[in-house]
Amino acid sequence: MDFFSIGLGLACLSFVLGLAWRVHGRPGSRLPRPSAGHGRVNRGLAAGLADIVLLRRTLRGGKLRWAGHTLLLLGFLPLLVLHAMDGIVTRPLFSGYEPTLEPWQSARNILGLAALAGLGLLAWHRGRRLPSLSRFQDWALLGLLASILLTGFLLEAAKMSSPADFERMVADYFPEADSEEFIALQAHWARENGVRFERFLPTAQEILEQGRELHEDRCAGCHAATSTAFASRALADALPAGIVLPRTVPPIFWHLHVGLSFLALALLPWGKFLHPLASPANLLARGGRRDSGFPASALGRNLALEACTRCGQCSLHCSVSPSRRVLGNADILPMDKLADLRSWLDRSLDGAPLADLVEGSHVCTECLRCTQVCPAGIDLQDLWMSSKAALSEEGRAGVDGEIRKRSAGEWARELGSRRLGGVGSSGPGLADRAESFWGCVQCTTCTGVCPVVAVSTDPQRDLDLTPQQIMNYLRMGLKAQTLGARMVWSCTTCYKCQEHCPQGVPVADILYELRQLGAGTLRHKGKP
Amino acid sequence: MRYAYFPGCKIAHHLPAHGMSVEAVCDRLGIGLVREEFTCCGYPVRHESQDASVFSALRSLALAQRLGLDLMTPCKCCFGNFQHARHQVSQDENLKLRMKNLLDEERLPFPETVRVHHLLQVLDESLDTVSKAVTRPLRNLRLACHYGCHALRPAAITHFDDPLAPTVFERVAAATGAVPLPWELRLECCGYPLRGRDESISDLLMAKKLASAQASGADVLVTACTYCQLQFGRGGGIPSVLFPQILGLALGLSPEELGLTPDAPWLCRLEKE
Repeated sequence: MDFFSIGLGLACLSFVLGLAWRVHGRPGSRLPRPSAGHGRVNRGLAAGLADIVLLRRTLRGGKLRWAGHTLLLLGFLPLLVLHAMDGIVTRPLFSGYEPTLEPWQSARNILGLAALAGLGLLAWHRGRRLPSLSRFQDWALLGLLASILLTGFLLEAAKMSSPADFERMVADYFPEADSEEFIALQAHWARENGVRFERFLPTAQEILEQGRELHEDRCAGCHAATSTAFASRALADALPAGIVLPRTVPPIFWHLHVGLSFLALALLPWGKFLHPLASPANLLARGGRRDSGFPASALGRNLALEACTRCGQCSLHCSVSPSRRVLGNADILPMDKLADLRSWLDRSLDGAPLADLVEGSHVCTECLRCTQVCPAGIDLQDLWMSSKAALSEEGRAGVDGEIRKRSAGEWARELGSRRLGGVGSSGPGLADRAESFWGCVQCTTCTGVCPVVAVSTDPQRDLDLTPQQIMNYLRMGLKAQTLGARMVWSCTTCYKCQEHCPQGVPVADILYELRQLGAGTLRHKGKP
Repeated sequence: MRYAYFPGCKIAHHLPAHGMSVEAVCDRLGIGLVREEFTCCGYPVRHESQDASVFSALRSLALAQRLGLDLMTPCKCCFGNFQHARHQVSQDENLKLRMKNLLDEERLPFPETVRVHHLLQVLDESLDTVSKAVTRPLRNLRLACHYGCHALRPAAITHFDDPLAPTVFERVAAATGAVPLPWELRLECCGYPLRGRDESISDLLMAKKLASAQASGADVLVTACTYCQLQFGRGGGIPSVLFPQILGLALGLSPEELGLTPDAPWLCRLEKE
């Protein structure tokens, strides 16, 4: 067993096991069943294919990313199929194929440069537009692909300047060469093809001519001039004159190039490395649709969960990004929320990260924009709506749900000993200022006009406190006694109390402030 | 007349008919709607955080100001939160400073000059144009106009209309030829703000309103707010219709162009008359 077989075997094993783990389908998913999407039929096969082949959705997000991605695909895919798998693809397809012949040498160089240029554009875009959204795996994928390409060029350059490779090939294809012929051939290859030899070589015209004839006779049939591999040749020529590569260098580059390629194969099922497979599959399933609710199947949803490329478009365009900036919770933006949602579905999210997911889930306004801009066609809207329902079902219904888990009295006991600050950082809030209530004469107008009080037969039982009672508690400084009252949390924010108050007490604004205070208190409780 | 058009978050997925009908009506009336990638108005996050809510509102206002246009929204809750956010920064110097810093990070101007309009106000300002553009007066269609709380109150902050006796909705509705009726609970809450928070109270508030609208003898309940329509759309009894859809019909647009199902019973009655 050599390096190649063992490496390929391990990489394939990692790929197969990882893929099996990744697509095991989350049996017993926590999400509610998708509703059967209004009997719509998938007629979008062509649209899905166009999305994949032309990267149409990526183009909508910006020309730069599209150009980078297109260059990368146009360069990398042919290299993968025709170069990396040449033994099983290229050789059977093209008779007389030799990797050292034209057009293969120049093609490899053109494709490799295109792929590198694409990677450069993508890295530039990421560095400029997404620095705060990028994580290790984002840079790792770009770095790994670039390393494979660069080591490829280095390997080719090292081989063309290496005397060891020259000697190996002469031994293979011209074993009967005598020492005079050998030297003539060396002289020709040193001059024309950039091989560097340790020994001094003749430059006499007749010897070079003899070398050229031997080359035509024995080498040229299988080996084009190394100058056709123009990028690698330029690299080889860039070595300072007189430097001869040690014989160990080409094997080092070979092991690096092949080893990194195996690493990429092994990592394919992990994280965003799967997106070259999962995103096209999801685009096909979506059939060109940009609305939500299709395809309505658990399988489609699982595919959607895996298809994220972490391109950041959703987060860049998110409608609640201002809330993210103020509240600082990364899970308010779709890209990070999706990653945590996956963890939650796999039952590996708890504590503060789960609190972040719940908050992100509730701050989302379901505006559909992330679904519309996603280049991988992920139906994020469906994931947000179904996961919000599923989280609530499991007792994670956000601030409102947490407050309602306990009675007003229990909250009063819990919060009574705490120093409850104001909202924001502007100092005392409305509820803390005596001026807010000094006009209050407890006339009960606020309670009288309240539509929530009006639909209750026994407000004391149903709502804990009436609006006028809350104002009374607050002017006595009993803020903790009011924070858990159902009246505070079931205020419908119609502002009738405030509009009708004859004394100008900002009743509804104060109730808003109490909810904000409750939310802030719970946030800090959830995060040490 | 051109406005920075702020549809609000809920239209795209939850109520596309609202967006369709607003755009169709404005197109017919020559009201220019300029698109911008706005973020949320901050209304939904107001329960959670004052700063997040105010910054969300100011950021969108700043984007409109950068366009050099006033902002127009068809949603009462978006309208109300924009007005609230401005009021709050005007009352609190520290808050204003925090907001200015956040806007500065995106090189956005502090929105001093931009004005916020609700669709009804825009239509009311050019009532003559609206009346003249009506090609198919909806005579005999009786409407119960639902005001929606967040534009109306507190009037000292929202500056929408008289909070105790508003008339703007009925005035614009009458321009379609339809007959707006007085009804008991026209200024009450639809109950949507308690959806997902306190379903039972939300249902009770909605049922009371629908019963009151029905009792008034109206053919349809008319809304001019995405959230109110989402709420009444769940209820039974009297049908709930978006005002731009009513106006669109009067302007000669087809039900399909307005996101209406052509076989709705109240529409069939309209056809016969």
